[in-house]
Amino acid sequence: MWGALLRRGVRGGGGLRCLSSGGPPWSQVVSEAEKIVGYPTSFMSLRCLLSDELSNIAMQVRKLVGTKHPLLDTARGFVYDSRNNLQMRGLVVLLISKAAGPSTAELSFQHDMVSGIYSSQRSLAEITELIHTAFLVHRGIVNIGELKSCDGPLKDMQFGNKMAVLSGDFLLANACTSLAQLQNTKVVELISSAIGDLVQGIYYENSKSHEENCLTDDIGISRWKEQVFLRHSALLAKSCQAAMELAKHSAEIQDMAFQYGKHMSMSHKLHSDLQPFVKETSSDTMAFSLNSAPAILHQEYRGREAWLKQIRELQEAIKAGKGVTSAIDLCRCHGNRALAALERFPPSEARDALANIVCAVTRFP
Amino acid sequence: MALRWWWRSGSWCRRAPPLGSVPSPGPRVPPAHSAAMCHITQRSSTFSFPKICSIFWRFHHTSSSHWCSCSKTISDEKYQDPFQLGRKDLKNLYEDIKKELLVSAAELKEMCDYYFDGKGKAFRPMIVVLMARACNIHHNNSKEVQASQRSVAIIAEMIHTASLVHDDVIDDANSRRGKRTLNQIWGERKAVLAGDFILSAASVALARIGNTTIISVLTQVIEDLVRGEFLQLGSKENENERFAHYLEKTFKKTASLIANSCKAVSILGCPDPKVHEIAYQYGKNVGIAFQLIDDVLDFTSCADHLGKPTAADLKLGLATGPVLFACRQFPEMNAMIMRRFSKPGDVERAWKYVLQSDGVQQTTYLAQRYCHAATREIRKLRPSPEREALVHLTEMVLMRDK
Repeated sequence: MWGALLRRGVRGGGGLRCLSSGGPPWSQVVSEAEKIVGYPTSFMSLRCLLSDELSNIAMQVRKLVGTKHPLLDTARGFVYDSRNNLQMRGLVVLLISKAAGPSTAELSFQHDMVSGIYSSQRSLAEITELIHTAFLVHRGIVNIGELKSCDGPLKDMQFGNKMAVLSGDFLLANACTSLAQLQNTKVVELISSAIGDLVQGIYYENSKSHEENCLTDDIGISRWKEQVFLRHSALLAKSCQAAMELAKHSAEIQDMAFQYGKHMSMSHKLHSDLQPFVKETSSDTMAFSLNSAPAILHQEYRGREAWLKQIRELQEAIKAGKGVTSAIDLCRCHGNRALAALERFPPSEARDALANIVCAVTRFP
Repeated sequence: MALRWWWRSGSWCRRAPPLGSVPSPGPRVPPAHSAAMCHITQRSSTFSFPKICSIFWRFHHTSSSHWCSCSKTISDEKYQDPFQLGRKDLKNLYEDIKKELLVSAAELKEMCDYYFDGKGKAFRPMIVVLMARACNIHHNNSKEVQASQRSVAIIAEMIHTASLVHDDVIDDANSRRGKRTLNQIWGERKAVLAGDFILSAASVALARIGNTTIISVLTQVIEDLVRGEFLQLGSKENENERFAHYLEKTFKKTASLIANSCKAVSILGCPDPKVHEIAYQYGKNVGIAFQLIDDVLDFTSCADHLGKPTAADLKLGLATGPVLFACRQFPEMNAMIMRRFSKPGDVERAWKYVLQSDGVQQTTYLAQRYCHAATREIRKLRPSPEREALVHLTEMVLMRDK
């Protein structure tokens, strides 16, 4: 069905359109696409993942089970990501390579092609995934200085950090080595600059607003788009362009591939930002980010003052209602149950200290 | 290869004067020792005997020496300070590096620029630039450094710095070069990002040279750096394997960068593959020597002078050269090495054992062997002030105190 859509678009001259009825579900899109590119992409870079170094890391990461280090969630995500988001980039790079067709450059361009894709382009798709994964891992690092005792033993967190830095570096080093093997300096430059973009995007994503207790950033939509480009689009856009360069396609085709990658991933991000606001059948409200696109645009339309006022109003509404008093009652109820349990222990200094803890956590002004 | 030297150094050291003794005036070399020396130096016709003795004699001192004070007595007449020779090319090194770090976020820019403040030794770029000139002169007497060769110097320093930033996060270090580490000031999350950014900027610069061979050569460094860190994670049970493992880790973590940068500039300057091999071997041997001395200084220097805390390796659970040698004399260290000095009191005990043993001298002697090898290699090039500066540099590596 996906193929039919594409064919109709190219021949009919009417341009590509999206089905207004919604189109096929994501999983179907992905599996159709995988057929087009010739193999399932779910386990791309498996070769790298099976290396000695990473199996060593995997064994070490098992020690993190039971701790709160984010690397564990990242690792879990590798196995259980049902939306297949992890491999989406690589799939897109393969598709655009196939869509562009064989090289129109010199006839002496002798590279092996399988299912309409050059081996160098396949390698590039893997590299893109490697880089994306490396940063998933590097983002899972914690600031040691901000840890509290509830986060668990310090040495667990330090160990988790060490594993995260090393595995991320390992993936990046593999990506660099594979890039070098492509023997194309323009591609190396493009992808390296994409890594730099991704770093800056992640940096902006992590930076909180300087205003104290401020829940949202004071940025307009155009700044938001710049930061989202760096964070979500740059890697895919430049990889698509690089795939074209590998097949020596014209500058125009390279630019079109870049535009596809850029705008498609922008749409993807906006789509995911909109989910909490457009779902009709959700029984609970989904959590949403106050820095997501609809919120930022809302802020632009209403002005920052009005927006902050709305947030404050929401907070006041919660305060004015019965929610707060009920929560205080619940807190005290649990406190009383803890004290009742303590009654079963013989009196001692230690028991008094435990009782004091309960009093401290049930105290409200 | 290392094992052979180990045995030889063992037999040599048994006759050596004990640590801290005052040397008698004039070089004193026991007869059996000099026989061993002749055998070792047989291959090199360029090193004259009295010079070697004076170097060995000097090693019985434990007092620190500075960069230039003793060097005049052992170099050729054509000696020039390597720093002076390389200065013109390296003049704007740090400014140029900062120009490569194009970041819009002010704080991230500040982080990336943090170590490029001109206070580092710039040891690697200097070697690269001198090697470039030496190779250019060897090939066609050209005395100029090409722009691409200078780029290699910049890229080498950037890759090195990026790896330092990540190492500090991995080791939870809080000071380097006399100031606080990036992770100490800005936290681990941002520090890792800064390291990634510096690496990506180095890659962009590398790509812009426009030479796929050079890209492959220097990308190998990035891979080796990571593999070196992994080697450091693991350990070997067997005493003999431990030493080979230590040297392999030393190559990957330190020498590979120098070896491959030297090779890269030689490729850019001269088409002869023999020259590339000479450059590579020089870089590799100097690099290993450099790290061996670094490992020695971790025991012999004091924290203020070094700019970073000492006994750092022991505290990280790492058994470096001096420890491995000391273990031969004090087998009780084996258990400590295997548990990576994790029990309370291990670090202090190991420290004492090392200083009681000949571990420091043995490691220094080994470093010297590597420097000799480096010198032998570089002397195969056509004579030039730069070539001699590279020879002199090996001596500086041995003499440094921080």
